Parts: sequence; structure tokens; C-alpha cells
Amino acid sequence: MSNLTTGSFSIEDLESVQITINNIVGAAKEAADEKAKDLGPLGPSTWPGLATYRDDWNLKLLARYEPVITPMCDQCCYCTYGPCDLSNNKRGACGIDMLGHNGREFFLRVITGTACHAAHGRHLLDHLIEVFGEDLPLKLGQSDVLTPNITITTGQRPMTLGEIKPAMEFTEEQLTQLLATVHAGQESAEIDYDSKALFSGSLDHVGMEISDIVQIAALDFPKADPEAPLIEMGVGTIDKEKPFLCVIGHNVGGVTYMMDYMEEHDLTDKMELGGLCCTAIDLTRYKEADRRAPYTKVIGSMSQELKIIRTGLPDVIVVDEQCVRGDIVPEAQKLGIPVIASNAKIMYGLPSRDDQDVDATIEELKSGAIPGAVILDYDKLGEIAVRLTQVMHPIRQAAGFRTIASDEQMKEWVDKCADCGSCYLVCPEELEIPEAMKHAKEGDYSYLVDLHDQCIGCRRCEQVCKKEIPILSVIEKASQKVIAEEKGWMRAGRGQVSDAEIRSEGLNLVMGTTPGIIAIIGCPNYGDGAKSVYYIAEEFLKRNYIVVGTGCGSMDMGMYKDENGQTLYERFPGGFQSGGLVNIGSCVSNAHITGAAQKVAAIFGGRTMGGNLAEIADYVLNRVGACGLAWGAFSQKAASIGTGCNIYGIPAVLGPHSSKYRRALIAKNYDDEKWKVYDARNGEEMAIPPAPEFLLITAETWQEAIPMMAKACIRPSDNSMGRSIKLTHWMELHAKYIGGMPDDWWKFIRTEADLPLAKRADLMKKLEEEKGWEIDWKRKKIISGPKIKFDVSAQPTNLKRLCKEA
Amino acid sequence: MVDTTKNTKLFTSYGVTTSKAINPDMAAKMISKAKRPLLVVGTGVLRPEILDRAVKIAKKANIPIAATGSSLNGFLDKDVDAKYINVHQLGFYLTDPAWPGLDGKGNYDTIIVLEFKKYYINQVLSGTRNFSKVKSISIGKDYVQNATMSFGTISREEHFVALDELIDLL
Repeated sequence: MSNLTTGSFSIEDLESVQITINNIVGAAKEAADEKAKDLGPLGPSTWPGLATYRDDWNLKLLARYEPVITPMCDQCCYCTYGPCDLSNNKRGACGIDMLGHNGREFFLRVITGTACHAAHGRHLLDHLIEVFGEDLPLKLGQSDVLTPNITITTGQRPMTLGEIKPAMEFTEEQLTQLLATVHAGQESAEIDYDSKALFSGSLDHVGMEISDIVQIAALDFPKADPEAPLIEMGVGTIDKEKPFLCVIGHNVGGVTYMMDYMEEHDLTDKMELGGLCCTAIDLTRYKEADRRAPYTKVIGSMSQELKIIRTGLPDVIVVDEQCVRGDIVPEAQKLGIPVIASNAKIMYGLPSRDDQDVDATIEELKSGAIPGAVILDYDKLGEIAVRLTQVMHPIRQAAGFRTIASDEQMKEWVDKCADCGSCYLVCPEELEIPEAMKHAKEGDYSYLVDLHDQCIGCRRCEQVCKKEIPILSVIEKASQKVIAEEKGWMRAGRGQVSDAEIRSEGLNLVMGTTPGIIAIIGCPNYGDGAKSVYYIAEEFLKRNYIVVGTGCGSMDMGMYKDENGQTLYERFPGGFQSGGLVNIGSCVSNAHITGAAQKVAAIFGGRTMGGNLAEIADYVLNRVGACGLAWGAFSQKAASIGTGCNIYGIPAVLGPHSSKYRRALIAKNYDDEKWKVYDARNGEEMAIPPAPEFLLITAETWQEAIPMMAKACIRPSDNSMGRSIKLTHWMELHAKYIGGMPDDWWKFIRTEADLPLAKRADLMKKLEEEKGWEIDWKRKKIISGPKIKFDVSAQPTNLKRLCKEA
Repeated sequence: MVDTTKNTKLFTSYGVTTSKAINPDMAAKMISKAKRPLLVVGTGVLRPEILDRAVKIAKKANIPIAATGSSLNGFLDKDVDAKYINVHQLGFYLTDPAWPGLDGKGNYDTIIVLEFKKYYINQVLSGTRNFSKVKSISIGKDYVQNATMSFGTISREEHFVALDELIDLL
């Protein structure tokens, strides 16, 4: 009986007894394992635990990319032993030191993010199985490799919704194991928190992959479609005369019911449905597999949440989960906007109305008797949200809630400012609010308008203002004209990169002739973040890098236009190709970015995927020039997404605020011992250039980030043409954004063919004069000098076990 | 009356270390005393009034410049020893006694930081403060808690005057 997974059995001597078995513990995994026997060879790490990747991969990675700890404060107040002063790396009462404590703090961010995506995946999986059944096939586009992250981690290749369950259960089990380690008196070694964080990062990409593939398959999202439709975006696209239903969060489950209701009742052109964060992105993917004309809109990222409420435009707000502010209800209440909480993760203390009649709930919310309600029943949610929006629109219009402050009111606010400077001190962006207020008092609002784009809408300034000036409203009132013009276009999230695209780009990427993949993987919330991301993407697209985006980064790339009035999505193709701008989808679609790199290793490189994380990651680190950008994320999820990229050998540059995650991974570019790998042909050590020289780091400005990313795309396996192309871009970008030539360009030269073509002679002269390299000027060849050798057949690896002589 | 206001030292170890607030004269003294000083500037240094003063500090005290962020462009024609390095990377390297420095002559004992967003440099300096012996002196216009010593939060105009006073004293 212990081996029973499906089928029937009988128990003698029992009569007239009904036995119902809902689930056999471990049965799904056993069934899946049985099936996996047909899947060919597997690597050594199927169904990994906390220690599985530690020695074989993580510690090797961390030996080169060392943890850099920058604590947020001196103390630990985690248990009743404390609070303890850990400054100067002292140990607290429980025995943990400052390094270990901060490793744990970073780790906590990573497992929090992992849990968010895993819980999101679980919610969608259960819901979609309930609606569509376990046998719904995973149709994700023209690919054989559908689930790279699941396959690498578990060895499984699920083909239906039901077959995903073992990977889901496994992720949840490991998250429990991971969370247990933060209990006082357990793990205290910083390096082991890093190893566990990397493991959690790999699980995060499993959770994200599950979330996205189930919604792509069941909700008819674009399936690896490079020509997914263009979507209107920006607050300026909202028709103020129409009722506006505003959705905020990351889980599309409930929104699909609102869309269905709107479509069934012919309301799609009679009201606006738009959203913030990834719920918005995913509602624009719903039923878009056949590229129908989109009618829903994307407003913006988390930093826009309060700003959009303060416009007074939303008639109803529906929140679901993840990046949702904690003050939506009190803010909405001031402007007569009912709030519906549609996911049990955020209930805001609101009363539940699942058991109440729809009409009664609409009446109750309309009357203002309650500020909002929890409605988890999606059928009711779909009807109530849409009908309530139509009901609230004229009521709010008549009450003046949809009108912004008058000029007189504005003057009154501005005149109250006592120039105390408190707002400047607490502003996370250190915006010069007092200066702007001073000019506003004199009638010049332009300084306030300048703040609009940089303001992250956190209202810390309002919290400390002794004169109780609603500073955010002041900035937004001053910026009305600018806000009305906030209109852009974004390509709907296309889903995975297809196997065919990998086949055609794989060689270019591994050889370096496509200079790299630039992955814009996080929300650019912080000051000027949106515009920065636009500049960064444009610079790399013009240089034929592949730019892939997800989530709010994808939104922000579409918010700006060139001199011809075109957004980046209109200017560049949507395919995974040199010079392509690929909007993969929402946050959870990030799994397809690691997935693309993994597929290069598997499809182009022929590496075994199943249970083979270390080898796949080793391949990516040494051969696939990719670099992520998380430019100004607020959330813990960004930490887990980035860490998941890191374990797979993909470095990421973060914005300056991300130094508050407390832990970076930076290599010592001056220590030659760190820059050696094995040649898998014979196990001999070979020197490599110091690239990438970080796995996780911050940059101060977007201008600094650009050359850092270009440099981080250099890989040991580049052929000479590829190295020459990559160096050309990096050195040009360094000259453009930093100034002059980088000091260490020569470290990447193996032969004269590596040198940027246009400057070859000049650079050889520099090598001769400044570095003492021997040059044969007749043959225009480097005779001696380089520390690293070029061998086109070399097989760089960090894993000794993969070497033939090992 | 018994003095009941004395002895208010906390019995718990909250450990909220703050930097010593200093005037330009103390900053000048510390810079002059340093054996291996490094002037670390952020991108904000490109503001012309500040750039001019940063160059004067570097020249007068004969200090090399770590031009972090995207600040290097401002120094290329100023006849100073300025090199680019990412400030997060620099913060890490400063904690390694074996780092050869920007000039190959070894690590630094004192860094003077100027023109960063305070949240960013404060975060970077939390690493050097906890895990190295390097002294950091912030001469920007915002009080930086994790520096060893720092100017307080002052106005832009006061900051210009303070830097001029510092330059005079070098």
C-alpha cells in the first residue's frame, strides 16, 4: 500500500463503509518521480535541501563573490536576550555577530520575497485547478522546454496544471526549512546565510515560474509572442468622464472576473479598468493570446499608488496582494473611494461580505457605512467591483471628490509653510521640498513640478509637517499639466523566450557577438527611476544588446517618447534577438529570464537540465553575457529575484537605495587567485579576466550603471570577435558616461584580435608603452604580455568534477 | 536637593553610534594628520561650486581622488590624481588590508567623503565603520551618522563657507 499512487485497493471484512482519500502524502511526488524515469539523464541535485548546493556550488561562488555587509543599524532586537549592540562586529547575547546578524537580515528579505511568489503561485494553481481541472495542458508557446526552473530544481517536466503540484509542495516545504533557520541560537555563520539565501533565490524562480506558467496556460495570455499587442499606459490615458475601477497588486485571479463581467455586460467602452503594479500588467495579458484589441490600461508602479488616489479619479479600488501600500483605506476614505480587499493576504481590518447578497453589499459600500469590504468570492467580486464603480462615479463627481484642489486652496497650503526643513530631512530621496515651497510662495510652481517625477509618493514629508500641509497633494496639484500628458505604450507581456529564439541567438550570446542580455528586473520606483530605465534601455538597444524587461521596469520603459513621438516598444522589435526589446511580463515572469539563460545552457550548450543546477549555473557564469538591473526597488521580492539570478551566475546592478538590503556580492578584482577556473578538457587551471566582477552591487547613478552593466556582460568564453565587440561597447560607454578610458581595459586582452577594431593600433601602442607588452608591429601582433591566454576550444568551468582528468 | 538627573547612561546596549560632529578646523586637522588619505566624491560634486572646492582640497592637501558614481568627467582636465571606482566596491575594498589602493601603494587610513546622498554614503560607511579601522570624515552638507566625524546638516550657503574655511586651513 505504501507504493500506491493511483488506482484502487480493497480492505477485507469492511462492509458498507465509505472511505474518501483526498490526498496520499508524497504520492504526487512518487508519481512524478516514476514519470521522470523516462526523461533521460539527471544531474546530482534533484529535490535539493538546504545543504545540497552549498559545497558543490554556492561556496565556490561566494569564495569569489564575497558578501559585503553594510548594516542598517548597530543593534539586533530579534529576541528577548537583547537588544544587543553588535557594532564593530561584536557578538550579541545569543552569540551571533554583526556579520551573521546582517547575513540573516538579508536572508530574511530573500525568503520573504520567495514566500510571496510561492504563495502567489499556490493561490493561482489551486484556483485554476478548481476552475479548469488538473488536466489542463501547459500550452506556453512553441517550445519543448517549458519549465526550466522546475526541471533544474526537481528533475520534473510537468505538462499539465496537476503535474505542477509536486514542485509547488516541494517549494513550500523548503521554505519552511529555510524559515526555521532564523530562530535564535541556530545558524549564525554569515556565509551559510548567504548559501541559504542563494538556495532560496533558486526556489523563488521556481515559485515565479509556477505563477506565470499556470496563468499563461489557463488564462490565455500571449504565449511566447513577440508581437503581443501594445497597451496604453500612464495616468493620462484614463478618460476622466468615465467611471474608473482601479486595481492594485500582483495577482490577476480576481481581476479576470471583473473583466469577464465587463465583457458580458458590454461595458468595456463605458468605463475604465486600469491598475498599478503587476496586476495591471497581467490584466493586459488576459485573453490576449489571439491579440484582440486591448481595453484595459496600465497606470504605473508602486510609487504611483498614493499619487493616483490623490487625483481623486478612482471610483473604486480593489487590492489583492504584494506591493500594496498599507494606507490605501484611510487615503481612499478621504476621497469617498470604497476599497475592496480581494485576497486573504491583505484584509486591512475590513468586514467580510462574502456571505452577503451582492445588492446589499453594493448599497452598504455606496452609503459609506463601511470604508470597504473583504470579498474573496470571485464571482461576487467581479460583479460588485464593476457595478459599484458605475454607482460611485456620479456620487463622487457630485461630491467634488473627482476634482483636484482649487488654486486658492493651493495658495493657502503653500503660504502655511514655515520653512523648517523637516520634510527635507525625512524625504528618502532628499528632495529640496523647502526650496520648492519657497519659490511656490512667490508664485513660481515650476520647482514643485520638478519634484513630481522624483517623488516616490511615500508621504513621509506629510507625517512630519507641523503645519499639516498635504505636501504630496501640493506637488501633484502643481504638476497637473505634466500628469495629464503621462501617456505611453507598452507591449503586453509575451511570456517565455521560445526554444527557437534560443537556438537562433545561443551561438551569438556564447561567442559574444550579441554583446549581452540586459535584464531590467525590478521596479524603478526611486527618483527619476522611470526615466533612468528608459535611458539605460535605449542605450543598450541602440547597441544591439537584447533588452528583456518585466514588471514595473517594463512599464517605465514605455513611458517616454523620442523626438518622433515613439516609445521604445514602437521603435524596437519584441523578439529575443539582437536589438530586441522583450517585455516578458509581470514580476513572476522574471523566471523566464533566468529560464532563457538556462535554456541557452541546455538547448545550445547541450547540458543536462534535470537536477543539475550547479552545471547550468556554471555554464551561464562562464559563457552567457547577461546582467540584470533592479533600479530602485522597494520590496523584498526584488532581493529574492536578484538572488535567484545570482545563483545562476547572472550579476545584477541595483540602484543606490538597494544598499539598504545590507548585503552585496563583490569580487576583489585585484586578487589574481580569484580569477582562475578549470579547463574541463584536462582539469588544468586557466586564468580568466575579472568579469563579471560582482554578482550584486549598487550604482550611484544610471550613468554609472550603464558601463558597469556592459562590463558585466564580458565572459571567459567570448571568442575574439565577441570580446572585441563587448570591449568596444564598454569602453565607449565608459568614455561617454564616466569619462576617459577605464583603467583596467587591458586585463581583458588575450590577443590583438580582442582589441576594439577601430582603435586597435592606438591600443597596441598603449599596451607597449604603458604595460610593457611586446608587439610585432610588422605582423600587428601581440608577442607577449597578456596574463590570460586565448584558446578557442577551452571549456572554462568552476566545477572540478566536470573536468575529464578530475 | 538630590541631583536625580545624573547617571542616565542606558542599561541596555542599544548601540546607536553616531559620528562626532566637527567644524572645518577639526576636519582640516584630521586630513593633515592622515598618512594615506583619499578624497571620495559622489556625483553631486559636479555642481560647479563644489567641484571647484573639491579640486582645491585635493591640490592643497595633495590628496588623490576616488571619483565615484559618474563624477570622473568633472576632474579630467583639472590636473588632479582622480580615478573612477564604484563607491560600494570601494567601501568593500577599504575593509581589506591587502587592497593595493587606487595607486598600487596600499590601502588608506582616512577617507574624506563629499557630495553623496546621505542615505547612500551612510550605508556604505556602515561597512567601513563596523569592519575596518579606516577613519571617515564627511565634509558634505548633511550629517552622516556612520562617518567617524561629520559636518552637521547645514544649508548650501553655509556649506560653501565651511569648505572655504577648510581649504584655508589645509
